Amino acid sequence: MTVAVADLTKRFRDHLALDSVTLDVRPGEFLALLGPSGSGKTTLLRIIGGLDFPDAGTVSFAGEDVAGRPARDRRVGFVFQNYALFRHMRVADNIAFGLTVKPRSQRPGAMAIAARVDELLALVQLPGLGRRYPAQLSGGQRQRVALARALAVDPAVLLLDEPFGALDAKVRNDLRRWLRGVHAQMGLTSIFVTHDQDEALDLADRVAVMNNGRIEQVDTPDAVYNRPATAFVADFIGNATRFDCRLSDGAVELAGVRLPNTAPPAPDGPGVAFVRPHEFAIASAGTPGLAATVRRVTHTAAMANVEAVLADGRVVDIATATVAVDAGAAITLVPTVVRAYPA
Amino acid sequence: MSTREPRWLRWTLIVVALAFLIVNLALPLAAVFAGAFAKGLAAYRTAIVEHDAVAAMKLTLTVAAIAVPLNIVFGVAASWAVAKFDFPGKSILISLIDLPLSVSPVVSGLIYVLLFGLQGWGGEWLRDHDIKLIFAVPGIVLATMFVTFPFVARELIPLMLEQGRTDEEAARSLGASGWQTFARVTLPNIRWGLLYGVLLCNARAMGEFGAVSVVSGHIRGLTNTLPLHIEILYNEYNYVAAFAVASLLAGLALVTLVAKSALEWRFGDQIAGGGH
Repeated sequence: MTVAVADLTKRFRDHLALDSVTLDVRPGEFLALLGPSGSGKTTLLRIIGGLDFPDAGTVSFAGEDVAGRPARDRRVGFVFQNYALFRHMRVADNIAFGLTVKPRSQRPGAMAIAARVDELLALVQLPGLGRRYPAQLSGGQRQRVALARALAVDPAVLLLDEPFGALDAKVRNDLRRWLRGVHAQMGLTSIFVTHDQDEALDLADRVAVMNNGRIEQVDTPDAVYNRPATAFVADFIGNATRFDCRLSDGAVELAGVRLPNTAPPAPDGPGVAFVRPHEFAIASAGTPGLAATVRRVTHTAAMANVEAVLADGRVVDIATATVAVDAGAAITLVPTVVRAYPA
Repeated sequence: MSTREPRWLRWTLIVVALAFLIVNLALPLAAVFAGAFAKGLAAYRTAIVEHDAVAAMKLTLTVAAIAVPLNIVFGVAASWAVAKFDFPGKSILISLIDLPLSVSPVVSGLIYVLLFGLQGWGGEWLRDHDIKLIFAVPGIVLATMFVTFPFVARELIPLMLEQGRTDEEAARSLGASGWQTFARVTLPNIRWGLLYGVLLCNARAMGEFGAVSVVSGHIRGLTNTLPLHIEILYNEYNYVAAFAVASLLAGLALVTLVAKSALEWRFGDQIAGGGH
């Protein structure tokens, strides 16, 4: 189902949480809302789910305006950051909740509900745990119960708020893959909120990068990573280092080096440039480029990580194929790829 | 929980706490029963089946039976409003809820006399419509409700604020109506806090003296509650009867305490599962 929002604006007292946001989510898509905290991503998710209402703008599901419709009439499954499991109910009753609150005429019988719960417990790989209370489950298990509960009512849209935020790294990676599989299997349109760029780039079909209540870019993970549309996206994604530069004739002048600009064309003048850790070459001192001192060198399986200190005191991490530099050596960092935007 | 405090410190604290409990709670309670039975079982029995004592007992139970349920409704409604919604004047409402606790009960009673008494603002209107509030049962109920109002709300507001709104939001997104959300999610989440508040509210409703004393008029057999009846007996130097009736009041308090413990024991697994 297509989920479309247009010109959404939401203000909390004097804070503009959403500033005229427009976004189209395609049927079957897995979309990530990525941004720093306070960027408005959770507010956007809650408005799509009918838990908050916008001051202006429209929300439509499959072309139908749902802006005035409360959450219970939207057929969305919402998975909360802290799961919001009903702690006084057993797992099975939690999962069955959405079915048991249906009007009597639409409510399945007790047998049908029990069968559906078993089916969902199998889907989320927790068979036989229906009689436990949420407090008796691990974080990852609770997360999957929350998902099963949201899926019980056959939602067309699945909304997840920081779904892996409270889990440790190992569990998180397993659950990511698994969630991706469930999404495909059930034919859902899913939107999830995260502040973790690895998670967004790893999991989503498309990523919407948000900042200060606006969407900066909506694109595939590859495009968001390799072709950031704005300075904010370039800065936020990929652990880049920021430099002042000059833009002229489609090229970037940075510390005496002239390079083609891989960012969208920008007018001539002062600019800001972003270079990622693997986009530096290490040259001997005196070469045109950024003078730096090596502080530390560490080796992993295939790469060397060089921690270098620039003349202005900033620390830059460089990932490079193994090179022979030692701590304390004076070197020059030569950018090989650069994205620059008007300052 | 293990502890590294020295043994003598632990024992000192335990002894101090126990001694305090015995001197301040157990001894007076024992004294009440000792006084009640000072002249034997027959005198005790005579004192509590006496007409005015039975009338006072009935009135006390009636007042509690009206005031406590109404305060449950108002207390839950007020806590719900404070915890789940943002609205202007919210902090004023929270302060108002505490008002009955900070005002002397005598003053609370006088407020009602001032409002509804014959010389009061609403007095003439009430008299013209033949409605008697002051020196009658309705006035006692009103004064009791006023004094006991904070007990339920004060117990629930911090609990509901701590639990937040996400459980309710989850229920709504799963299709539950407002009433279903309240009955199946909110109420079970707050039930132990609510029960505790209700027990406190009930104990105070049955034991309230000051406010009720002002509005009651002390008409024997009609507007005397148990505490007022005890005071009258005591002032008449009828110590055995006074202590006998007092033992009834103390007995009611013990029953509520046992009821609470029994409920906690019976539903202990759910309390543990519920995390509260």
